[in-house]
Amino acid sequence: MLLPLLLAAMIGLAGQSVTARAVLAPRGITVRVSPDTVLVGDRVHCVIDLEHSADERVSIERLDTLSTNQFELVSRKQSASALPSGGGRERFELELAAFGLGRQLLPPFTVVYRASGGQVTGRVPVKPDAAVFVKALTDSTMHELRPIKPPEKPSLPFVLLLPVIIAVSGGAGLVLLVLFLLRRILTASAEKIDPGQVAQRKLRKLGSRLSAGMPPPECYEELSNIMRSFLEKRYRIRALEAVTQEIERDLKKLGVAGFESIMSLLKQADLVKFADSRPDQEESRNSLHKAEEVIRTARTPEV
Amino acid sequence: MQYAAELEELGLQITEASRFLEKAQAELARRIVGQEEVIRRVFIAMLVNGHILLEGVPGLAKTLIIRTFAAAMNLKFQRIQFTPDMLPADLVGTMIYNPKEMEFSARKGPVFANVILADEINRSPAKVQSALLEAMQERQVTIGTQTFPLPEPFLVLATQNPIEHEGTYILPEAQVDRFMMKVLVDYPSYDEELEIMLQSASTEPKEPVMPVVQPNDIMKARTLIDRIYVDPRVQRYIVDLVVATRKPAQYGIAPLEAMIEYGASPRASIFLLLASKAHAFMQQRPYITPEDVKAIAYDTLRHRIRPGYEAEADNIRSDDIIRQILQHVPVP
Repeated sequence: MLLPLLLAAMIGLAGQSVTARAVLAPRGITVRVSPDTVLVGDRVHCVIDLEHSADERVSIERLDTLSTNQFELVSRKQSASALPSGGGRERFELELAAFGLGRQLLPPFTVVYRASGGQVTGRVPVKPDAAVFVKALTDSTMHELRPIKPPEKPSLPFVLLLPVIIAVSGGAGLVLLVLFLLRRILTASAEKIDPGQVAQRKLRKLGSRLSAGMPPPECYEELSNIMRSFLEKRYRIRALEAVTQEIERDLKKLGVAGFESIMSLLKQADLVKFADSRPDQEESRNSLHKAEEVIRTARTPEV
Repeated sequence: MQYAAELEELGLQITEASRFLEKAQAELARRIVGQEEVIRRVFIAMLVNGHILLEGVPGLAKTLIIRTFAAAMNLKFQRIQFTPDMLPADLVGTMIYNPKEMEFSARKGPVFANVILADEINRSPAKVQSALLEAMQERQVTIGTQTFPLPEPFLVLATQNPIEHEGTYILPEAQVDRFMMKVLVDYPSYDEELEIMLQSASTEPKEPVMPVVQPNDIMKARTLIDRIYVDPRVQRYIVDLVVATRKPAQYGIAPLEAMIEYGASPRASIFLLLASKAHAFMQQRPYITPEDVKAIAYDTLRHRIRPGYEAEADNIRSDDIIRQILQHVPVP
């Protein structure tokens, strides 16, 4: 009764010895890695040699999935060679990109042994003790940062500076106020100047120049400018850059007193300017009188 | 006060010679509701031998205006629909082989008419556009080895749709420049639309347009227009306006400098003067005033000014630029 049990126990032990051929540093499995220190992201060269008997074939299970968080398989190469003892050696050359920081052990893998018929004869999980030291790209050991300089304290205490600040601000405010008032006064006085009076003065001067021998066409040109300038200031219309028709339209809209006389003067001036009309001295003088009359009657602002 | 004696005489002749315009305008008004400005521009172009580029959405009576105009003026009218597959020969004509006489003879194309409506000119390729624009400029057409003068008066009205750009060939600036005016045709007013609707919504045939003018009247008017007086002040004003499109800073409009990619060509000055003369003629005046110049400035300059990138970004069109220029260039 005891014999079959003993035999069974012996067979079980023999089977265990097959699967547990190598665990941490199994015989016939060599793992080398170079260089042993790299920067993060650099590549390391890993060589795995697997020795086997003549009637065996050997491979690494799911080699493509060898990548882990710390290593990324970049490329692989496999070669085989015969051993003088009669067996063979399978060499796997792997290129791995190293990530993570500090000492990183190479990822574990499983070696599969097969008989010449293809059936699996053994599976050996390997946890290589070869490791790579991965350094960070930046040197976290820098300790030469200068400490932040504390803010400088004012040489004068704030209590002493406060009156000076108030005085300067007050002075600036006062200057601005004076400037503002000055501007208002100037604007008000400018507004008080009646454009009619200015135009009358200019017309009187023009009359004296005409008497002094000014050619009538020039007189009309000047008259047109005086009238346009007056209309622009008095009625706030664009007259200096406008043509007579545009002025006519604007004045009509405003219902200006003496509209017909104004237009008649501007049209006469247009005839002289653009139609080669040659008025005589008398005509020019009459036009000047007419213009003075128009301006006098239009004294009351319409707007 | 009157103007110089020679202008007085010219004024009387102009009043007499411009009567035909009133008759033609009255005849046009029988068929066309509104669009007075467009009609006035067509008359101006015809009076000074210019051509017009009409821009407006479809259905604004562009064709009707031109067809009626030609009929009232007793002129031969041709409408040419420009298409992408058109060839220059379809426009100007071609050499045809005559087997009886065993020789080639020229067959004149539709361009041989007094009034041409080049509908949707931007639908045809550049070579067809060039053929028409060359005919407009030279006023003659060469078919094979023979050169034929185009009939007088010769007026081209080209239309283009401002909205559709797909499948179109945009007219190059150099060719657009040959058009005396670019007229924008706008929608009619509410009342005009009402009148158009009542007038057109009928199956009865329309009364034919009566020819009320003889081509000779136009030729006579042209000789008088050439004699219209242009004061040196107005001459300078025209040049000032055109130069201001190129160097606005010189006229106190420095902000426009960045808005204009390029300004109007010297052709603009020529056409501005010619169109102003025609405008004065239509007002029965023997001299030009700045009013005449301002009246046609938009139509004469808008296609000759190219707004720059900044202007486009701010949605500033060439009309806005012209408005600024007219407001800032001092009127004599």
